[in-house]
Amino acid sequence: MNEIKKPYRFVGTQPVRPDGVPKVKGTAKFGNDFSLPGALFGRILRSPHAHARIKSIDTSKAEALPGVKAVVTGADFPDQNFAYVGPERVAVNFWHITRNVMAREKALYDGHAVAAVAASGAAVAAKAISLIEVDYEVLPHVIDVEDAMKEDAPLLFEDMITRGIDPPPARPSNISKQLTFEIGDLDAGFAEADEIVEREFRTAPVHQGYIEPHATLARYDPDGQGEIWSSTQGHFIVRNLTAKLVGMKLGDLKVNAAEIGGGFGGKTVVYVEPVAMLLSKKSGHPVKLAMTRNEVFRATGPTSGSSMRVKIGAKKDGAITAAEGEFKFQSGAFPGSPVMNACLCAFATYAIPNQRTKGYDVVSNRPKAAAYRAPGSPISNFAVESTLDILAKKIGIDPLEMRFKNATHIGTQTIAGPKMAHEGYSETVKAILDHPGYREPLGPNQGRGAASGYWFNGAGESGATVYVNADGTVAVATGSPDIGGSRASMAIMAAETFGIEYGQVRATVNDTTSVPYTHVTGGSRVTYASGLAVIGACETVIEDLKARAAMIWDVDVDGVVWEAGRARPASANVGDFEPMSLADIAAKAGATGGPIGASGSVNAGGQAPGFSTAYCDVEVDPETGHVEILRFVLAQDAGCAIHRGYVEGQMQGGVAQGIGWALNEEYIYDEDGRLDNPGFLDYRIPVASDLPMIETIVVEVPNPNHPFGVKGVGEVNICPIMAAVANAIANAVGRRMQSLPMSPPKLLAAMDRREGPEL
Amino acid sequence: MSVEVTVRVVFTDGFSHRYTGGRKEFQLRTRNTLRGVIKALDARFPGLGEHLEEETTVAIDGEIHDEPGYFQKLREGSEIFFIPKLEGG
Repeated sequence: MNEIKKPYRFVGTQPVRPDGVPKVKGTAKFGNDFSLPGALFGRILRSPHAHARIKSIDTSKAEALPGVKAVVTGADFPDQNFAYVGPERVAVNFWHITRNVMAREKALYDGHAVAAVAASGAAVAAKAISLIEVDYEVLPHVIDVEDAMKEDAPLLFEDMITRGIDPPPARPSNISKQLTFEIGDLDAGFAEADEIVEREFRTAPVHQGYIEPHATLARYDPDGQGEIWSSTQGHFIVRNLTAKLVGMKLGDLKVNAAEIGGGFGGKTVVYVEPVAMLLSKKSGHPVKLAMTRNEVFRATGPTSGSSMRVKIGAKKDGAITAAEGEFKFQSGAFPGSPVMNACLCAFATYAIPNQRTKGYDVVSNRPKAAAYRAPGSPISNFAVESTLDILAKKIGIDPLEMRFKNATHIGTQTIAGPKMAHEGYSETVKAILDHPGYREPLGPNQGRGAASGYWFNGAGESGATVYVNADGTVAVATGSPDIGGSRASMAIMAAETFGIEYGQVRATVNDTTSVPYTHVTGGSRVTYASGLAVIGACETVIEDLKARAAMIWDVDVDGVVWEAGRARPASANVGDFEPMSLADIAAKAGATGGPIGASGSVNAGGQAPGFSTAYCDVEVDPETGHVEILRFVLAQDAGCAIHRGYVEGQMQGGVAQGIGWALNEEYIYDEDGRLDNPGFLDYRIPVASDLPMIETIVVEVPNPNHPFGVKGVGEVNICPIMAAVANAIANAVGRRMQSLPMSPPKLLAAMDRREGPEL
Repeated sequence: MSVEVTVRVVFTDGFSHRYTGGRKEFQLRTRNTLRGVIKALDARFPGLGEHLEEETTVAIDGEIHDEPGYFQKLREGSEIFFIPKLEGG
């Protein structure tokens, strides 16, 4: 456990971001900005069918087209063993992953990759894929999660037996996995309750909506080495997955992370990189491969859609006695939805002695789900926080007062097993309760809604290297792609640790050969885990600097202390020496042992969960069903905001995405299972004019496991947003919306069939 | 110097069904690091150690660690929960 060091010089400020000028000037290089001499244009042929057996693929005409240098199909990739390995939640199965990158026996969704070409120009590549002849046997398809669970549903995998049931079922189904978590005695808990509310909910699959499509440049060299430039949240993951799927050694593949135009979880997997590498291997040329927006929507992971049932019971004083949730999640065409997270996060903000959550991971003919901002948690949160709102009204208690009364604290039993180890939740509720706007009167057709959210936050493996240059500036290199301001936060933490100016530190994102292994930028883990690696490396360098100062002064190292960016004698007894700066010591680097630098590596734990509470005011147009967001206020526990502006930006971003999820975003499939809205004109994410100023309240309950008290901040902000909007709409129009998105047609229909107010 | 502690270890239902014949809880006297716990469990259920390292997140006294690390310290009476691994976005 660390002692929290205060006050700080730089932590909590918001200095100029290191990537600001290149991005404003347009010189920053994103995934599609890289090229090499002789690079070819790649293009992927995608299935027009939601479900079809691939009887044959004839590439001969494409290969004969002048300018075409290579064509690949699934048969060109080495096959993988069928085995679930690694993290259980994501159920990594390379047999599935390689088939998602390129279909083999069957095409499992509209947009599934079936072949790819590399050609001398984009037009040639487009012509070439039109010449590839695929003989499909079109099969019945299934899109909806409830339909996919039916006994007579078309099976995506004819031999898939549900995991997690003992004994295993005899018949195959589209349910890949079932899981249950439970504490206490659920029946006894509901028997104690004075009021019980049980409702069913639906959420639509929504895309992460990153502005930059997936793009990569890959080069395979004749000696078996290769290099990739990629728009990714984790270039080490790109390296590991690509090497495995193509059949390369990790040491032979170097991956560079480009600047990234958004990811939100969706760029923690690979789609184009293995294809580009294989095309390069086959053609002998570097290959560029960039998706269009259409391809992004049809073939990359949205988060799961869901069908849910939630039941909560409470006493008249508001104490919750029991809670139950059933969560059916679409995983897309391959197993691996975030349903376990949904089960574990659903009731995590509350001290409820009796709980049960049950989850189903269900495949259907949609693109494979990928992570999206606190994956799983916002979905179950919508159901739980909506149900809780109804229960509070039935009891006659302010919904936030009810949340405060039942708030989790240190020692609360969680459904996952361990007891809660951190505070921070009730502080976010209190922050909203104390907000002056929370009790302001509202006008006609207006309503106010509140909700809270929970996310585990991540940590794990990160590495960093820190070097002192001859002029006393410091280079900080990490393997964390900068998606939310990590270069600034790493520089701040390094400056604070050294006691030097922020401007003396230059933080960079380095390639996979230049820094130790680092897990993805995701899970709200980077400021915490990569930050610990940076701080560790800085502390090692400081010890080295003290030793070198001792050498220069010719005294024992115990006689040297490091204060405010300088080595100083520990006392007058050591001698009368002028303090030495980084530059002073670096000037003697050669004489004192050579270059000054160190690496830090961590497998970090103790990251502390994220908590958030929000309220919003909405106005519903009774003629059109349009919902205008009048005000949004979000309180989130950041532990300690390293770069305040970036923390607030994360909070505002989470709210904006949650509003889109709540009101507009959904995939629309036609009767043949083809996606009808694969573009931003028809798949409507919020734009600036849809949003009010999003007010942020940064709560800081320090995490004692980090020198500065950091907790992850990237994800929990989105968790309560859909429920807050739904609760506000219910208060505005007296209709309870239990299906996302709460789009104007749905809302109008709900208002038109008015039979009396709903809670 | 080696320090021994008595700790409580808990598995989920699914994990215990797969690997420990359905037994969910154990009281163990081991060295005061997670390595000691993993070794002790692997001795009782050969191969279990690898499953623990590959498939679980560990919570020690409520603090979640994404991956079980040999170096993680235990105290007398520590509660150790091995739960399915968590991943974020």
